[in-house]
Amino acid sequence: MAKILLVEDDDLVRDMLAQVLTRASHEVESATNGEEATEILKTSEPDVMVTDIIMPKKSGITLISEVKNKHPHMEIIAISGGGRLDPTGYLDLSESLGATVSFEKPVDNATLLMAIDLLVYGNKH
Amino acid sequence: MGRNLQTNRNHFSYVWLPYVAALTGIIFSILIWYHLPTKIIDTLTDSYPWIILVLGICVSVLTGFAIQLVQLTHERKRSYEKINENFKKEIGERIHAEETKQKLEKALLQGQKLQAIGTLAGGIAHDFNNILYAIIGYAELAREDIPQDGLAHKNLGKVLEGCKRGQELVARILMFSRRQHHDFKPVNVKETIEGALGLLRPTIPASVSIQLESVDKDIVMLGDQTQLHQIIVNLINNAVDAMDGEGTVNIRLSDVSSSDEIFSQFPNAIQGRYCKLEVSDTGHGMDQTTMARIFEPFFTTKEVGKGTGLGLATVHTILKEHQGEILVESQLGSGSTFTLLLPEYLMENQNGQNTTS
Repeated sequence: MAKILLVEDDDLVRDMLAQVLTRASHEVESATNGEEATEILKTSEPDVMVTDIIMPKKSGITLISEVKNKHPHMEIIAISGGGRLDPTGYLDLSESLGATVSFEKPVDNATLLMAIDLLVYGNKH
Repeated sequence: MGRNLQTNRNHFSYVWLPYVAALTGIIFSILIWYHLPTKIIDTLTDSYPWIILVLGICVSVLTGFAIQLVQLTHERKRSYEKINENFKKEIGERIHAEETKQKLEKALLQGQKLQAIGTLAGGIAHDFNNILYAIIGYAELAREDIPQDGLAHKNLGKVLEGCKRGQELVARILMFSRRQHHDFKPVNVKETIEGALGLLRPTIPASVSIQLESVDKDIVMLGDQTQLHQIIVNLINNAVDAMDGEGTVNIRLSDVSSSDEIFSQFPNAIQGRYCKLEVSDTGHGMDQTTMARIFEPFFTTKEVGKGTGLGLATVHTILKEHQGEILVESQLGSGSTFTLLLPEYLMENQNGQNTTS
């Protein structure tokens, strides 16, 4: 079980992912954009942050570089829907900024859960 | 009628007048010589002994003047012809420039349109992936909550299958809109075509024959082999679909010299060596309206569900990435021909003779 911060602007995806993570017996906190996530991070310290890349107010890219500075031990998983200018480029960028793993939407949820488990387990041991 | 008369009159004064004048002069001279008493001539020469001299000088001066006149006329005629020729040339050049300009404008417009649609498609793909992700996630969650042998479980499986198809479509759209940075390597064009044909043959009906004609030498270009495969596969599939299961697809690969006439059809092509790939079918052809839109993404004439409308759009995008050009000619009822110009890569350092380093 891990404490997870979920940052996603799409209501449907956020709600669905929250359910998936909760069912896998993780503790989930949700934020709709980068700014909200920063607010939450002031009071709580999750093990993993799962974040979208293209979001209003504060994008996933900015959020990742900020979080990596303030919470260097936090694991970050980036997910992106592709499109706009160069989506895979964003995922590459998110990884070079500090995201441990990145996925392209639609993500295979089983793989996502496995990645979370591996990251949390790896950290604890 | 009146105009005809006028022309005839002009013709007479232009052609016959000098002869008539000369003839009249000769007749008068003969008459004078015949009827004039010799006494008068003798008297004249006696009182004016220089009259013959004056007459001779007059005739000489007149002859000289006549020759000069003839020369002048000729010269003027020549200069008129030259002006006329220059004028014609200038008009030709202007018409050509105008045509080139129109072609360029059209190509530019088409390019901008395709680029805009590409950006739009990319944006749609992003949002669509989010929607698909939510549907897939919820369907999976719901499936976990119900008995596995029930109809609902099976139906949710169908929902997931549908999503899978949607996912593939989005992947194709992204491929069209995404500007990937490929590693371009020297690729043998003929081998690539043969490879693509090998892949395609089993999927093409036996009643469709595919002919490949090619120059003997190896043609090499810088490119991504998988993408070039895709161009050929898409073009041939398009040709086969246009023939309703019966006919011939002709593929011709040839060299183009830099002075080839074909370049007038490709005003955008950068100077250089190219090879030409033609894919023609004996299908039902297209009208002008269809032809103007075939490279637009999502444009299809096929039945709903049969074509995605991305095949030729992808061909166009890949070709542009390879600095290639494409042109389509078609006639309703007698088939279409796609002509592609692919920039040739000259293997300068083939024998280790590196001149640049």
